[in-house]
Amino acid sequence: MDRFELRYADYSLSGDQEAVRDAFHEFFAKECPAERVRAAEPLGYDERLWRQLADMGGASMGLPESAGGGGAGLVDLLLVAEEAGAVLAPVPFAEHAAASRALAGSPGAPAELVTDVAEGRQVLALAMEPIGAAGHQLVRQLVPGGAVARSVLALDGDTLVVVHADEPPPLAPNQGSTPLAWWDLGGGRRQDLASGPEALARYRVARAEWKLLTAAALVGLTERALGIAVEFARTRETMGVPIGSLQGVAFPLADVAIGISGARNLVWRAGWMLEHEPSEARRLVPAAFAYAAQVATHGATTSAHMQGGLGFTVEADASLYFLRAKGWSLLAGDPAEDVIAVADALAADADATAGADAIAGTETLAAAGG
Amino acid sequence: MDFSRVPLDAGEQEFLDEVRSFMTEHVTDEVLEEERRTGSGFNERLHLALAERGWVMPTWPPERGGAGLDPVRARILELEMRRAGVPSITQGTTRLVLVAVEKFGRPDLTAELLPGVAAGTVRFCLGYTEPDGGSDIAAAKTRAVRDGDEWVINGSKIFTTGAQNCQYAFLITRTDPELPKHRGLTMFLVPLASRGVEIQAIRTYGGERTNIVYYSDVRISDRYRLGGVNDGWSVLHGPLDEEHGVGREGSAKLADLAIGTSFLQTLGRAIDSALAWAFTTTRADGSRPIDDRMVRYRLGAVAMHMEAGLVTPGPMGRVKGSDALVRGAADLMDLIGPSSLLSEGSPGADSNGAIEYAHRFAQGTATYGGTVEVFHGIIAQHVLGLPRPSYPGSKTLVSRKREQAAA
Repeated sequence: MDRFELRYADYSLSGDQEAVRDAFHEFFAKECPAERVRAAEPLGYDERLWRQLADMGGASMGLPESAGGGGAGLVDLLLVAEEAGAVLAPVPFAEHAAASRALAGSPGAPAELVTDVAEGRQVLALAMEPIGAAGHQLVRQLVPGGAVARSVLALDGDTLVVVHADEPPPLAPNQGSTPLAWWDLGGGRRQDLASGPEALARYRVARAEWKLLTAAALVGLTERALGIAVEFARTRETMGVPIGSLQGVAFPLADVAIGISGARNLVWRAGWMLEHEPSEARRLVPAAFAYAAQVATHGATTSAHMQGGLGFTVEADASLYFLRAKGWSLLAGDPAEDVIAVADALAADADATAGADAIAGTETLAAAGG
Repeated sequence: MDFSRVPLDAGEQEFLDEVRSFMTEHVTDEVLEEERRTGSGFNERLHLALAERGWVMPTWPPERGGAGLDPVRARILELEMRRAGVPSITQGTTRLVLVAVEKFGRPDLTAELLPGVAAGTVRFCLGYTEPDGGSDIAAAKTRAVRDGDEWVINGSKIFTTGAQNCQYAFLITRTDPELPKHRGLTMFLVPLASRGVEIQAIRTYGGERTNIVYYSDVRISDRYRLGGVNDGWSVLHGPLDEEHGVGREGSAKLADLAIGTSFLQTLGRAIDSALAWAFTTTRADGSRPIDDRMVRYRLGAVAMHMEAGLVTPGPMGRVKGSDALVRGAADLMDLIGPSSLLSEGSPGADSNGAIEYAHRFAQGTATYGGTVEVFHGIIAQHVLGLPRPSYPGSKTLVSRKREQAAA
């Protein structure tokens, strides 16, 4: 990595991208008020909303046109994920988008499943850890989206597989009201999708895309949580002045805004790199995810706290945001693994030979994208 | 959206080579050593050599003393100057002030000064902060009193970095103490060679030299006034907005997104130094630090905040850049342990003292150009739309007091 390299720094959206963002913004604003989020608890899944989203092309937009999709790029999907995150939409958008992109185009992808997934008739979930790799077995896993899916995409050794169940396993009730479920990925009916380096690459990309989509959702979540707190701080008075005019309230909220503005750009940059320059993505994807997770935890905490005791009650919408900030950012494991992956990428860049030796024994799939 | 490497055509590649050989020739170890020793932020020989190529005002046409560079070539020059470590504080302040000089200077004054700026012989520093005023620059007390076609200036300014290397100070003065504080201000370009100007050095533990400048009965011609009498705040706006990163969001595709970028280059050098340490050090048990997951976690955390800082736009980026450097440099010191305390050149010091330097240098970045607290206020009011605080000294209350006095 050359810190003084001549590169473009163009964060602008194309006309098409703005249209995508605006369309989904309107859709979620209209269809997904907080009551609908509450009504979907504790499962965190609103089937009718999922159908509506699929009818808009939301389930298939990221698939190639040959697979019945919209051929959208990852950045377009990130825009949708941010809008979904802002309203806490109870739909498994990130899991489904990331897993179905890995499915479509795999040599062994069953045509019927691709069609079902593209049309949103079936949710496809993504197992966050390899089932088996050298020296370990992780058959029983908490799978995000797993409580509403009958199929899960997973990596077993060097084979990309899809594991099926007749019915989704029961919900594992959780802090973020997301459709988590324990899956036994060793049993059940399974189909092989790809093997060898291709399987590994597809799985890594799927995980990286899931992380970025989740990071984008966390950016949307944090921004809306901040918006709620700002509105409160503008109108709530103490000692005859709005509390938002006090530095003790305004400055912590400004810190949240600082985090959001950087996290969004980092997620976009990482997403662009994942499609165009995987060697840069190796560093930027884990950085973007870990940073968005930190910003969300801090931002949702601060935003709730600035509403005092009211922000601590379940009646306050701030509570919905607080609970999901953690509830979404831990689904793929401790974000500290991503922080380590940033250093792994730097080390590999700094000294290709020594770096590769240094991390060979500990490299995890968290260093996705490479 | 586009973050790709800019492809260079043959001419641009040739220009890059030319710039690099210039830097090799002129940014010598001696120049860098002198800068480390003096903390001057400026090197006259180098500055004049840049000017000779038209590279002080590189985008100006050659007939104005520039090099007529297009945006790609101008960006190549900017990046290579940074890579080489060209001391650039005075060049930076000169460019900030130039915005106001071009807009508000009288034709005869700009005709006199602008060619000098391009030639490298005319340089500007910022006369904003006063010893008892801090970041509240609109509270300036330095007085300018009209006397015929002249003005008489009395007062003092602190942190006038580069004054010893500049010909003019862009000075904010109080011309009408009876008006609300943002309204009774007037801007001047004060020739620093004037009688009554005294420049005294101040050293920072960041290794920089800055100054306190005293103005005692300094008489200057009215031609050095920029903008209207008592209209100084609007003159100041252009340079201040530029310095604060206002309106930078989504600007030119080649520019730095974040105004904290320059801070983060210091952090980048410190991270590289820490990486080198982590690879080359052997611990008592024979392992290297880079093999240790805790070390990698801590390095990764510093790098993550740097990446975030590099892409944080506008006034938010100023705070994030400083914060990432302040915390990151301190963490890298801790990580390396006592040897990180060693000064450059001391036996066993890290390769170039980059971390030890970064930790000291970092602290200034939270203050100059407006403290991070000032920027929190800007973000709160202008980005989030939170209500303005009402302080006893704010203009609302000053005018209210005046109304009460009138009634």
